[in-house]
Amino acid sequence: MKRVITTAAILATAVLLVVGCTPGSGGESAADSKTFEFWSFTGINQKAAVDNYTKAHPDIQVKLTEVGSTTETAQALTTALAGGKVPDLVLIQGDDLPKFMQSPDNFVDLSTLGADKMKGDYLDWVIKQSTTKDGKVIGIPTDVGGLAIAYRTDLFKAAGLPTDRDEVSKLWPTWDGFLEAGKKYVQATGKPFLDNASTSVFFQAVNQGTERYYDADRKLTYEKNPQVKAAFDLSLKIHSAGITSKITSWSTGWTAGMSKGDFAVVSAPSWMLNAIRTNAPDTSGKWDVATIPGGAGNWGGSYLAIPKRAKNPKAAWNYIAEMQSPAGQLAQFLRQGSLPTTPSVYSDPQLIGKTDPFFSNAPIGKIYTQSVLGIKPFYIGPEDATVGSEMLNTLVSVEQGQVAPGDAWNTAMTNVKNALRG
Amino acid sequence: MLSPAPAAKTTARPTRYRHIQQGMRERLLPYAYVAPFFLLFFIFGLFPLLFTFYIALFDWDPIGERHYVGLENFTELARDPRFWGAMRNTFSIWVLSTVPQLMLALVVAHVLNHVRLRAATLFRMSVLVPYITSVAATTIVFAQLFDRDYGILNWILGLLGFQHFDFTASVWGSHFMIAVMVAWRWTGYNVLLYLASLQAVPRELYEAAAADGASGWKQFRHISIPSLRPIIVFTVVTSTIGGLQIFTEPLLANPVGGLTCGAARQCQTLTLFLYEQGFGRFHFGYGAAVGVALFVMVVIVAAINYLLVTRIRSERP
Amino acid sequence: MNPQSTTATPAPHRRRRTLNRVSFVVYALLSVMVFVSVFPLYWMFVVATTDSATATSLPPHIVPGENFLYLARLVFDTVPFVQALINSLVVATTIGVGQAVLCALAGFAFAKLSFPGRNTLFLIVVLTMTVPAQLAVIPQYLIMSNLGWVDTLQAVIVPGLVSAFGIFWMRQHIGSAIDDELMHAARVDGATTGQIFWRIAFPLVRPAAFVLGLFGFVSAWNDFLWPFIVLKSPERYTVQIAIKALQNNRDIDLGLAMSGSFLATLPLLVLFVFVGRRLVQGIMEGAFKG
Repeated sequence: MKRVITTAAILATAVLLVVGCTPGSGGESAADSKTFEFWSFTGINQKAAVDNYTKAHPDIQVKLTEVGSTTETAQALTTALAGGKVPDLVLIQGDDLPKFMQSPDNFVDLSTLGADKMKGDYLDWVIKQSTTKDGKVIGIPTDVGGLAIAYRTDLFKAAGLPTDRDEVSKLWPTWDGFLEAGKKYVQATGKPFLDNASTSVFFQAVNQGTERYYDADRKLTYEKNPQVKAAFDLSLKIHSAGITSKITSWSTGWTAGMSKGDFAVVSAPSWMLNAIRTNAPDTSGKWDVATIPGGAGNWGGSYLAIPKRAKNPKAAWNYIAEMQSPAGQLAQFLRQGSLPTTPSVYSDPQLIGKTDPFFSNAPIGKIYTQSVLGIKPFYIGPEDATVGSEMLNTLVSVEQGQVAPGDAWNTAMTNVKNALRG
Repeated sequence: MLSPAPAAKTTARPTRYRHIQQGMRERLLPYAYVAPFFLLFFIFGLFPLLFTFYIALFDWDPIGERHYVGLENFTELARDPRFWGAMRNTFSIWVLSTVPQLMLALVVAHVLNHVRLRAATLFRMSVLVPYITSVAATTIVFAQLFDRDYGILNWILGLLGFQHFDFTASVWGSHFMIAVMVAWRWTGYNVLLYLASLQAVPRELYEAAAADGASGWKQFRHISIPSLRPIIVFTVVTSTIGGLQIFTEPLLANPVGGLTCGAARQCQTLTLFLYEQGFGRFHFGYGAAVGVALFVMVVIVAAINYLLVTRIRSERP
Repeated sequence: MNPQSTTATPAPHRRRRTLNRVSFVVYALLSVMVFVSVFPLYWMFVVATTDSATATSLPPHIVPGENFLYLARLVFDTVPFVQALINSLVVATTIGVGQAVLCALAGFAFAKLSFPGRNTLFLIVVLTMTVPAQLAVIPQYLIMSNLGWVDTLQAVIVPGLVSAFGIFWMRQHIGSAIDDELMHAARVDGATTGQIFWRIAFPLVRPAAFVLGLFGFVSAWNDFLWPFIVLKSPERYTVQIAIKALQNNRDIDLGLAMSGSFLATLPLLVLFVFVGRRLVQGIMEGAFKG
């Protein structure tokens, strides 16, 4: 009987032992200043930037995790902030940032580490998004998503369309011109022109306005804003014209279709160039970049932030300071094409002269900086990600034949309202 | 392990004090046996269940503030079309997977019960392979088989002259796809369950029926089904409760669909909706309210089960 | 089967003919079932060995390709898959063994010992048996967060040790394996309860405990939702979560998730070859008890 008590004791100890011996449950070395953990999203090849940094600093080890999509990364970060192990450094997409700005205490105020001296380097409207009212800097902007259009020169040629980027840009000063060009392409080839109308039209057009889902007084006005409605209707119009392949962005069909030439055009915010490169490596040299119809705009762009409970904020900050300085962003642009947020380098001859062989030597520096300099910044609020994704989802449903185009706007408004209250 | 002390040692010194102590220990002893289990059970099983009801009364942001809101989450839930949509999806996937699956399992078990099978163990093991395959892996494979552009199923549809069908996009297509995954996983398992029960039915019953000229179908209806009734109820209840928990299939079947399983939430199940609210949008209170709703459904199912089982018992001679 | 024609023929003949026809139908049915059960796994292997271009071409290539090592290496490069395999092994083994022992102990107490509160406690077990843990993931997460266990393996292991079904199962087995006379005789011989448990009861129900542990192992290996919630760092992933991470990285290669799925299923298939019989027996025995 003594044994039973011993047994119970042994069991209890066993449980504790299991708990204690589980790899990493307690024995993690606290602050190893040479190593830091970095969460990013998939699809933008953050690994290349990290490799570059570690090459320059062989003593530093960066544990990079590509968590998932931008949304999934933000979700994982929230879960971690709520009680898990946090990374030392995290990349947050611009539309997801406002949610985190609501509880700035979860992050290190970067101005305590030196961001106060760098603040002036960045586009004013970009750094404003990551600065709290009382002046805390939560994130340092890594890039902006200037807008442009990527197209396949080989497919354009086969369709009898011009292939030169200036001529192509002239085809579509407006979205109507874009639509006409699309119709010509479809007529000539019988194949879809554009990947889809949801991401490639709505998410571009809605970012070309002077206001998006909030007005200047930070009130949610998506329902009444005529610019939002116009972008939505434009997307429906292009969908109904039958020039898209109706393949949802980021789906397997989209990735495969990109390599196979199932469509000739993809809207390409600057960070999309990297996605095209990764998704369709075999199409190198067959792409080119033209200006976007409808004028300047910005979609996306991201921020680097350091959670308050980070084990090694210093190493993370060193990474930010070096990689996101004007010189760092310029170098990053020259390597991978993500557009700097530091206007001082916009006139740098290296940036202006930068061409990309994957995209037929297009002067991507010139094209994208122009699209950003003309921008009319608007307020992005905490519900922007939700509103945007519900509207996009409705358009995807239209493309999948689940919602009639005529009902789409009302459906979208209902869906947004449901999502906002939940 | 734990080589026992000689029994004589404990009985050799029967002092009175020792006796009392011994009695105490003998009385407390059973608790030592159940303690490890119940300790964990109370902390990680029962307490979270009760805690769910508490959280559901709050507007609870895990990285921000929390406010007491009373029953507001429940009234919101009752008016939320996303919740009812998830309910519809869960129910429809459950029907589509359970009914054909159990029927098929019944028929196969009945047929198998009548023959002496060669390689019976091999067969039993093969049909159990889906059961040991993880839901995540299963979903990845089936999503590929059902793919709009490159899936085998659509290839066959194309050969038969049909247009390729985007299973993930439509309500019925996505439900069908998920139901197939669920049915694939459990049919073999249920065949084994039924078969085991059928083998307990006296063979003479079948022989007598056959002598009376009862057809295979009649034997199935009048002997197999009635004798399987308790186990049928059991499998229906298990698959219903399993159906309420479907999560991984809709999450992984449509990777661009995110936590909604598609743009129109066409295959978002209740558990996925709970996850979306809890760990996608971080409305812990609202997510907990979905948990409470799930709990109520489980209780209803269990109550129906109880009624059915008592009825079956009372019907028996 | 056509019942009309079978009843029309004389009895001795009928028997043989139906048997032949029946066995044909039976074997056809079985072949279809076996094919359907095994084909998706075969297909997993096929895609895990072919390159993206081949995997996304029609008509589908149904023979394995030569890309297995390339994809497998890509899997190991994209996520810490070796660590994930180790994690899964640690989690599933501890849960399997833990469930078997904890449930055997408690099942023994419920079946053979009498103590105040026994029926109440057992009633609680039975009542909660049908309630899925999934509906309480939010409070569970808060508990783990308070314990500081988020992103650790014990967050998955410790709650997994509890199996209400296991108690039920072990109680049934111990109840029928040891009759009260044997207990009594052992007591008269001076055996303590502990000796009765370890020397008599446990050896008798060891096969049942083994099957319980096996089920615990398989379901812990395959569990998704809870690990997905609490395990966030790649070095804590179980293989199932690693599969999800691979799917997220589908821009690298479409076959990545499939290759990961195959590698995650392989260990269980190997285990199944050795202990599959026991699982089958366990399920078929469960039919009587359930």
